[in-house]
Amino acid sequence: MFRVAVTGGKGGTGKTFVAVNIASLLARRHQVVLADLDIEAPNDHILLGVDELGEGEDIKLFLPFIDTSRCTSCGVCAKVCDAGALLMPGKSPPLVLPRLCSGCMACYYACPYKAIIPGYHVLGHIHINKVHKGDSSLTLVTGILREGEEHIAPGVYRVKMRALSLQTEVLVIDTGPGTGNHISIALKDSDVVIVVTEPTPLGRHDMEAILKIVKNLGLRTWLVINRDGIGNAEESIKIASSYGVENIFRIPYHRDAIESYYARVPVIALKPESPVSKIFLQMAGLLEEVMAQ
Amino acid sequence: MKQKAYEIVVASGKGGVGKSTITASLLVLLSRHGYKLLGADADAEAPNLHISLGVADWDRVEPYYEGRVAYIQDELCTQCGRCLEACQFGAVEIVNGRYRINPWICEGCYTCSFVCPVKAVRFNRGVVAGYLKVKERTRYGFPLVSSESMPGRPNSGKLVTETKNIAKKMLGSEGLIFIDAAAGIGCQVISSLVGASALLMVAEPTPTSLSDLKRLHTLARHFRIPSMLVINKADLDESYRLKLIEYAREWRIDYLGDIPYDEKVPQSLERMTPIVEASPDSLASKALFQLAERLREIIEDMDEWRIKHLPPRQEPFVPKVIKPEGR
Repeated sequence: MFRVAVTGGKGGTGKTFVAVNIASLLARRHQVVLADLDIEAPNDHILLGVDELGEGEDIKLFLPFIDTSRCTSCGVCAKVCDAGALLMPGKSPPLVLPRLCSGCMACYYACPYKAIIPGYHVLGHIHINKVHKGDSSLTLVTGILREGEEHIAPGVYRVKMRALSLQTEVLVIDTGPGTGNHISIALKDSDVVIVVTEPTPLGRHDMEAILKIVKNLGLRTWLVINRDGIGNAEESIKIASSYGVENIFRIPYHRDAIESYYARVPVIALKPESPVSKIFLQMAGLLEEVMAQ
Repeated sequence: MKQKAYEIVVASGKGGVGKSTITASLLVLLSRHGYKLLGADADAEAPNLHISLGVADWDRVEPYYEGRVAYIQDELCTQCGRCLEACQFGAVEIVNGRYRINPWICEGCYTCSFVCPVKAVRFNRGVVAGYLKVKERTRYGFPLVSSESMPGRPNSGKLVTETKNIAKKMLGSEGLIFIDAAAGIGCQVISSLVGASALLMVAEPTPTSLSDLKRLHTLARHFRIPSMLVINKADLDESYRLKLIEYAREWRIDYLGDIPYDEKVPQSLERMTPIVEASPDSLASKALFQLAERLREIIEDMDEWRIKHLPPRQEPFVPKVIKPEGR
């Protein structure tokens, strides 16, 4: 499976915009899954015009239940819990706080009395939709965190595993903003990582943080400068070049991009002749070359 | 303003809609009225408020130690693969035929070490998970507290809580903290919202921003935090602008007004100067002046405003739990 991941560090740089266009272009000749791993604020379905995601599958995280007939209230489980999800009120068995639990299972393996029984806590949902747009169709996998839940990393991992289980030719991953381990989980094992930035000091600052991760993960990196023209692109390119970025694409700040956003149709389908679409065509062409290698 | 300490969180759900830009300008404008203020950047994974305020150096930078990173001792490892099976974060991988724990993913829980039959999993402790940064006095007078998590580290929400603790201690019992929150609705945003007096939501009139704002406001209702709304780049689209205003009305959110799209904003960003300082006559600045005035009215009577704009009903968060079979 050929894997492309789109990321950026800063929010709102155009990650989703790039991901839906690249995925739609690749879907013309390949079997494509687009995985929206921004589970806090998933937006790929919105830009693809999908109104109803339909019934979802649960994102299940391990949650400890206490077998009180075995529990001696020794407190080992609470001690190994980094999330603070297990409380020991005096001499009684531990109290489990589901929202705080990250589902790491350390308590389960640590309990000397096998007093922990695995149950689950639903972190959010995974939706799988077929999306048809013009001359192509793709499978969209959307991860959605339940509002109020906070453990992003294990959720991202599970949504990614679900997308991988579909075993298509191509996987396009759209990550959330940020630079934590939820992002490395999304990026890991990608054949190409596309870093989308905006040419402002804020964009550059966060771009550099994400370039450090990609470099440490040893992945091939391309750069997209979105809204080219609003700031100092040369400065962004200078920094990115020092991280060994292979290809640089510049998407102009253009009305067509905004129109496609509101039309909720990828710009490559809505305005194939647009200068914005031409850059996506070039990007997809180069991705296919890498794929063929 | 009452002699109390208040926390106003600026958040949006969607990233890149203008949280830091607006926070920086509001801080600058309110500081001119003599309020005791403090700026706190609660986006540890992508901190930007200091750039918007032109802060290039810090008075204090302290390492923040949190968690641990597991590694496998090759000479002990029997390649049984139990760690790979047990890890709930996908951090264990096979590189050149050897099991390895990816340090950019490792959550630092003990699971792999408990399942290893030969005790080959060790830990690096005292990991620097990030840095806490303090500027005692920005060029506009008020202090700024920020943090920066190390790439690939988990649980940046804890670092946000730490940032807020420093901010609260510095402010003391009276004044106003503006908390510039992260995008999303995860641990960093939840840490930002805990104990907040008010939430200032920033949105743009786009379908994505509206969708993410609704998710953010669900959190505000869980915590029962009264909210305000500002629409940035408001002239982009009228129908989504109206949808945002309608949503605000439905939930007793105080709609404070609009800021138009203004290319002077990115220009001021490039100069690392808040727009209200860089181009005070620009359209965006004029709107921000008005916004600051509205905010002043609210701050003067914060307690009363809070009661008026509390979410209409209690909506506590309820975890969804699946019990083990037979329980």
